[in-house]
Amino acid sequence: MSKIIRINTKERTFNYSEPDEEFAGLGGRAFTSRMILKEVPATCHPLGKHNKLVFAPGLLAGTGAANSGRLSAGAKSPLTEGIKESNAGGLAAQKIARMGIKAIVLEDKPEDDKWFNIVIKKDSVEIIPAGDLKGKGTNETISKLWEKYGKTGVICVGQAGEQLMISASMQLADPNGRPGRAFGRGGLGAVLGSKNIKAIIIDDAGSKRVDIADKDAFTAANKIWSKALTDHPVSGEGLPAFGTAVLVNIINEAGAFPTKNFREGRFEHAHDISGEKLSETITERKGVVSEGCHPGCVIKCSQVYNDKDGNYLTSGFEYETIWAFGANTMIKDLDDIAVLDKLSDEYGLDTIEMGVTIGIAMEAGVVPWGDGKKAIELLEEVGKGSALGKIIGNGAAFTGKAYGIDRVPVVKRQSLPAYDPRATKGVGVTYATSPQGADHTAGYAVAPNILSVGGSEDPLKKGNNVEVSRNLQIATAAIDAAGLCLFVAFPVLDHENGVQLIVDLLNAQLGASLTTDDVVALGTQILKDEIEFNKLAGFTKKDDKLPEMFDDSFEPHNVKWGYTEQELSKTLDFK
Amino acid sequence: MPEILFNAFSFLQKKLKANGFDHSNVTIDVPENHSVIDLIKSMDLDPDGIEAVFVNGKAGDFEYIIKDKDRIALIPPGTPGPHRLLLGIRPGDPIK
Repeated sequence: MSKIIRINTKERTFNYSEPDEEFAGLGGRAFTSRMILKEVPATCHPLGKHNKLVFAPGLLAGTGAANSGRLSAGAKSPLTEGIKESNAGGLAAQKIARMGIKAIVLEDKPEDDKWFNIVIKKDSVEIIPAGDLKGKGTNETISKLWEKYGKTGVICVGQAGEQLMISASMQLADPNGRPGRAFGRGGLGAVLGSKNIKAIIIDDAGSKRVDIADKDAFTAANKIWSKALTDHPVSGEGLPAFGTAVLVNIINEAGAFPTKNFREGRFEHAHDISGEKLSETITERKGVVSEGCHPGCVIKCSQVYNDKDGNYLTSGFEYETIWAFGANTMIKDLDDIAVLDKLSDEYGLDTIEMGVTIGIAMEAGVVPWGDGKKAIELLEEVGKGSALGKIIGNGAAFTGKAYGIDRVPVVKRQSLPAYDPRATKGVGVTYATSPQGADHTAGYAVAPNILSVGGSEDPLKKGNNVEVSRNLQIATAAIDAAGLCLFVAFPVLDHENGVQLIVDLLNAQLGASLTTDDVVALGTQILKDEIEFNKLAGFTKKDDKLPEMFDDSFEPHNVKWGYTEQELSKTLDFK
Repeated sequence: MPEILFNAFSFLQKKLKANGFDHSNVTIDVPENHSVIDLIKSMDLDPDGIEAVFVNGKAGDFEYIIKDKDRIALIPPGTPGPHRLLLGIRPGDPIK
């Protein structure tokens, strides 16, 4: 991977360039965050001409290494107004890498209202009118683009991105041509929309696999790597059988399942929306219990959920989505939750942000708690572009202001996900301190906190959770740079030489002699870049905190948040 | 005789069903001085197939002696929720 494609969306021109020394060894999140820091003025308007949208595959993308098909997208976030890296599966990462492309950078902003698609092929870039795709949902958009271009990688926006809503996602074609994968968090769909780009088509026809410096060493390392993933009970058995939604019952049992906008930690109807129930329903309706989100995935935690008549309804139905539209809003009907997920994918919206936002609308009495049908009608307003839809599509913080609600669970304006920070303190520290805003994937301290497996952190007490969060944030950043699925963490952690396996793959591919220390240094540097950008954008330590609603006691464990600004400030206090 | 609220999740549900036991929000009586491991064995489950036990919503000990009104839940290996041991969570980690 050696070339960068820069596309000027105002002039509708492009050029190729070689990365300079500073960027040459970077991939994925390491690349996107460094470029945003270096090239985007931190105080710029995120929907203005100075913001850039950067796509970068991870260092291992396109190699055949198992679970290496994740793509990073970076920009200044219109939701948080800080730096953002969002990470997704789908087909694009490996195709981009196989064409020898290190990054695709969208720059500037059109002065007219014409919409375009970008078609990237092995030796060409075309910027062509989007035609009648404008105004269409992502499902139809991807279907039509596959009819025209075949089984390509597609990154696109739906109606939410077109309307520049700050909860807008970019949806990606999954291996079956459905919009089941997403750059969900941080409103990056609005950044693509601000540049009047409906879709990016990645066609790698004629490309080869990426060059491997030491093929024999790579093959040997990948064999061990794949076996480690498939032999592990989480990545090899639990995730394929139940998907991430198996966490519903477990987090609920732990008393950390935020219910009714984070009022309490157990949902009376958790069993009705659990991974076990989901798996049973999918089987009954002849859906697909387990499928990968990208070629080369051996974990296969995604699935296809059919409606009562056996017709396709949605896919990529995650724990966080089921929580957001379920317990958080008191909706207990899995079919209603699936429709809300489908609509979010179709319009191009972050499901976590939308679930929390519907909770805020319920606080305001716009729709009743637990009413799935009314929640569906509310989300449909986003697709219509009505005034109400524009409020909802701009997320929880915006909706809270619109209705005068003081109970709004956001950090840096981004909604908290599915683990209550009072009952899983390590996750809470990450919510408060991550440069990304509240984000569970920025440092996932759930398992050691909850299960006491391999660690003894009490999830209800402060303990060493600041240190745990720091280390997890570093590790997660490094995994994002490699382009690996975050779920590789299970075997990596439990395998005697887990991290060394990743290092072996990287060394064989790049002809390098990296050590595990280098991996830690890479993760640390990514966080430093992101913190520096946010500082330049005006963020201070006072932004690294949870809202005051978390000062309230939380049942069933009767715990409070309780961290001070000074305690939290030590989390990412790199020297 | 202590009365408890019992749950088992994931793969354990199918195993319990095959063994003739309910698995979700079940109220059951257990003998006095019964430990969690005794409970597991009484349901014909293999203790090696249990990764963690929740006692009243907190990860607990398999030797714990069950008390009246306890809430007990069993979890098999294979539960996601990344990172068990990542950087520095336990002493001796190679990447600490």
